[in-house]
Amino acid sequence: MTDIVASNPHGPCIVAPEARGPCIIATSLTRRFDPHLSIGDRIAAAFGAPVETRAVRAVTDVSFTIHRNETLGLVGESGCGKSTLGRLVAGILGPTSGDIRLEGQPVMRRGRKTTTRIQTVFQDPFASLNPRRRIDATISEGPIAHGLITRAQAPAFVADWLARVGLDPAVATRFPHQFSGGQRQRVAIARALAMKPDILVCDEPVASLDVSIQAQVLNLFLDLRAALGLTCLFISHDLSVVRHVSDRVAIMYLGRIVEIGPAAQVYTTPRHPYTQGLLDSVPKLRLDADAVSFHPIAGELPSPLSPPPGCAFHPRCPRATELCRRERPKLAPHGASEVACHHA
Amino acid sequence: MTAPLLEVTDLRTHFFTRAGIARAVDGVSFSLAPGEILGLVGESGSGKSVTGFSLIGLVDPPGRIAGGSIRFDGQELVGLSEARMRAIRGKRIAMVFQDPQATLNPVLTIGTQMALALQAHRQAHGRVTDRAAAERAGAMLTRVGIPEAATRLNNYPHEFSGGMRQRVAIAMALLNGPELIVADEPTTALDVSIQAQILAEMKSIARDSGTALIWISHDLATVSSLADRVLVMYAGRIVESGPVGAVLRAPLHPYTRGLLDSLPAMAQPGQRLAQIPGSAPSLLALPAGCPFAPRCAHADAACTTPPPRIDRPGRQALCHHPLDAAA
Ligand SMILES: Nc1ncnc2c1ncn2[C@@H]1O[C@H](COP(=O)(O)OP(=O)(O)OP(=O)(O)O)[C@@H](O)[C@H]1O
Ligand SMILES: Nc1ncnc2c1ncn2[C@@H]1O[C@H](COP(=O)(O)OP(=O)(O)O)[C@@H](O)[C@H]1O
Ligand code: SF4
Ligand code: SF4
Ligand SMILES: [Mg+2]
Ligand SMILES: [Mg+2]
Repeated sequence: MTDIVASNPHGPCIVAPEARGPCIIATSLTRRFDPHLSIGDRIAAAFGAPVETRAVRAVTDVSFTIHRNETLGLVGESGCGKSTLGRLVAGILGPTSGDIRLEGQPVMRRGRKTTTRIQTVFQDPFASLNPRRRIDATISEGPIAHGLITRAQAPAFVADWLARVGLDPAVATRFPHQFSGGQRQRVAIARALAMKPDILVCDEPVASLDVSIQAQVLNLFLDLRAALGLTCLFISHDLSVVRHVSDRVAIMYLGRIVEIGPAAQVYTTPRHPYTQGLLDSVPKLRLDADAVSFHPIAGELPSPLSPPPGCAFHPRCPRATELCRRERPKLAPHGASEVACHHA
Repeated sequence: MTAPLLEVTDLRTHFFTRAGIARAVDGVSFSLAPGEILGLVGESGSGKSVTGFSLIGLVDPPGRIAGGSIRFDGQELVGLSEARMRAIRGKRIAMVFQDPQATLNPVLTIGTQMALALQAHRQAHGRVTDRAAAERAGAMLTRVGIPEAATRLNNYPHEFSGGMRQRVAIAMALLNGPELIVADEPTTALDVSIQAQILAEMKSIARDSGTALIWISHDLATVSSLADRVLVMYAGRIVESGPVGAVLRAPLHPYTRGLLDSLPAMAQPGQRLAQIPGSAPSLLALPAGCPFAPRCAHADAACTTPPPRIDRPGRQALCHHPLDAAA
């Protein structure tokens, strides 16, 4: 299977992202998940039984901007709130408070998504593609429902999209299980892009793929992003993948952004101790014999049910002081980045 | 030179399915010294796990070891009775799986499970007292970085986080002081910070106790920071082997080169990655000759015949056109 899409003709971006104007603006986004308690649980809790009544604070007071044609990378450990933030941006999930706007317009109104201009690609295309639906129907149903194409145009439209994601148009009548993981991810990308979105939210799009297939899918993403002028939120726990595709990067810890800035700056001169720890803990390709290529961060990720007071990173932070235990640091400018740390 | 602890020669593990014979492991040979860490890398389906299962005698039908030899400390394991294999498995050779759920029993406390694992191999020396078992179990949990080990023995598996559960599984593997641990992608599902903690622990265990380790992974960076030597597997064969630094600096096999080059770390940010075209072949329909040929930029007419074994000092590869030969 070969890519039939021409390679990225634009090369790396030359215009500074800021010069392109804001596209997505998130303001003080917060999302909590309350436990679903049965009546029995409630009674038990009232009598002091150990029933979990605390809410999970998945995303807390997060503000950021994604500029037009920019890719913002989002990294952090499992459970830190990346997917929740991605679903908020995509309008799949409503915030508990705060808001998210696409060129000034709210992405959600009264619990409903207001736009088709934002589309999503998820980690597991098996879970996100309907197993009993042929992929031509999967790709064309959204565009037909929203009047982008007529039913008569669908076959040519599907063939065109399959070709653009590097699949043989002859596979249009297959079911998802008849594809490999990498091919399914191409179908998921075609389905999202067939809606002609301006913004693409990608949640771990290559996490379940082998290295060689991951490279193919990342190349497809880079090509289509350039060809279609997409603005992206790219979520991954893989720091090298995020570095590769992002103009700017946001680092999350326990539901908050702790550092955000130009990818090159965040990776080469990280300011937040957590960012530094995270980068140091990734094993690097070690080509010479003796270099130690990684250093673990001490301690465990605390539960999002009871984040530590003050700076949530303080129990694991080598620089923590009394101030850190008491007061939560706010995001503040450091060069072209913003960092939430008392001692950055 | 120390005698090898493990010597695998021409191992062939095949699955006799209705659709045909899947040669999941097809002529694998390697050896391992005490205390050595060997990385086994390759894409999914290349036969890494089946190799690991073969070593501990846990290949399920329709699969079986169809040929070759596995000598462990001088003893032949291929053809050994299940009873005698059981005496070795868990005691002298332990396995850690990608999913700790596979090792841990959800309805028993960690302490109970560890005591049972200890008893299972101590009949010869009489029963281990509960006190002694708890002490040894607690020491092992501490060894893998679990705080307050003595109280954690009373916890059930679900009371641990994913990373902690994997550490418990490793502690179980260490309990009987095995000479060899086969670890099958034990950190793949874990976060980088937890992965780094486990890698650091494994490294010191191999160094301090002389335990040999086979680390199965698809992640070259992880293997490069942990292993002494690396085996690269493709379609059931070891296509390249050698010291990890030498192999990654200058691969002999085009597949190894391709794997390395497809890593984002090897490219300029934002630029297209070098990609290996196509995908892994079906074991039921392998091309004649080199199985990598349909994806290989160096393939020519010679590659339709089985590739020869190329020997370099400390290194080997299976290829008609090794990359150190002048083009
Ligand atoms: N529907 C839900 N109900 C209750 N809790 C939830 C729900 N969705 C997410 N959470 C919780 O919110 C927190 C953040 O979850 P989220 O899925 O955003 O994490 P993530 O950063 O994407 O993690 P991963 O890297 O594992 O995908 C977690 O503690 C999670 O358990
Ligand atoms: N029980 C089985 N029946 C048939 N084929 C199997 C079975 N188990 C594994 N295989 C085949 O053996 C090959 C190697 O599998 P495996 O060792 O699990 O790969 P890896 O661990 O490298 O991803 C695969 O092609 C797989 O489909
Ligand atoms: S605020 Fe304090 S505890 Fe938090 S990251 Fe900065 S130095 Fe560490
Ligand atoms: S034998 Fe031929 S096809 Fe196979 S890896 Fe070597 S050059 Fe490529
Ligand atoms: Mg997620
Ligand atoms: Mg496997």
